[in-house]
Amino acid sequence: MDGIGGTTYTLDDLSDYLDSGRLPVNAEIEADAECQAVLASLERVGSLSRELVARDADENPTLDESWFGSLFATIALEVKAGKDIPLSSSDPHTSLSITEGAIRELVRAAGDSVDGVLVGSVRLSESVVDISISVLLGIPVTGAAEAVRQAVYSDLFKHTELAIDSVNVTVDDVHVIATEGGTA
Amino acid sequence: MIDLAAASDALLAGRAADGDANAFGALVRRHGPYLRAFATRLTGSAADADDVVQEGLIAAWDQLDTLGEPGKVRAWLATIVSRKATDRIRSRKPSSELDEERAEDSERGPEQRAIATSQLDALSDVLSALPDAQRQCWVLKEVGGYSYEEIAERLGVTPVVVRGRLARARATVIAEMEAWR
Repeated sequence: MDGIGGTTYTLDDLSDYLDSGRLPVNAEIEADAECQAVLASLERVGSLSRELVARDADENPTLDESWFGSLFATIALEVKAGKDIPLSSSDPHTSLSITEGAIRELVRAAGDSVDGVLVGSVRLSESVVDISISVLLGIPVTGAAEAVRQAVYSDLFKHTELAIDSVNVTVDDVHVIATEGGTA
Repeated sequence: MIDLAAASDALLAGRAADGDANAFGALVRRHGPYLRAFATRLTGSAADADDVVQEGLIAAWDQLDTLGEPGKVRAWLATIVSRKATDRIRSRKPSSELDEERAEDSERGPEQRAIATSQLDALSDVLSALPDAQRQCWVLKEVGGYSYEEIAERLGVTPVVVRGRLARARATVIAEMEAWR
């Protein structure tokens, strides 16, 4: 293939140059008007390709419910239970335990029950629970975090009798009410 | 039930990694259409796309604890889905040589194509008319953002073959999109 413009570079050389972030700077390519036009075209068709997939998605926003249903039937079979945590029992012949997964679910439910709060991840280690939460924009963050801490502490105590030393709440996200399918 | 539609990707990914299937469901509803669109462009088939997106999401659910950056969950899902898509492509392609030959035959001039009404429609037509092997490489590189080596590994060919396919795809796309500058 002949070189582009006054250079010896091919279309593929220019594509490689673009892929390298135009570094190190090639003065010959940067000074050649035709190379510049080709580089602009390459960038344009690349970004149009990404736009095209985004548009395809926007034009078909609905997932088939039977497709969704069969996906969830499979996923529900693979419960992430985690390890068992022993609970105290008054009967010496009985041993009770609860899975980490069940504790996480309890913690999530307790935190979500606080107005304007969505619980993110829940970390359990020994007798410490670390929770990250997102707070609805406009709701006082400290009050929400404290309400979550109390709800989690009391629900864990009530349902599991686990001796929890501390419940740490980190607010690492803020959300607004969803415009689509939201409960606004 | 709690409304998860307002939650960020990072929050949903964190919950899903903890085993919350509803949070995973919210991610699927949010990003499923994009994953399907990506897989459709890649496989060239809406039915195959539905299958590979489903396979990819099931695999993703099992590996959520390996997700490094929860905020980048869409890109992470797209990577898993694209791998399922290339697995499917490899399983249905008996020979890459045949495909390369077919590639030469089907290169057509822009005048043979119906006039598109927008540059996105034009690009859509150009990509659809590319030989499968060229289109797959193009989509993996430009939309997936993968390197020649990664694409080669996924498609089970050498990087030189990928380079050749992309060179032909690029020449066609650039020539046919010239009118839309």
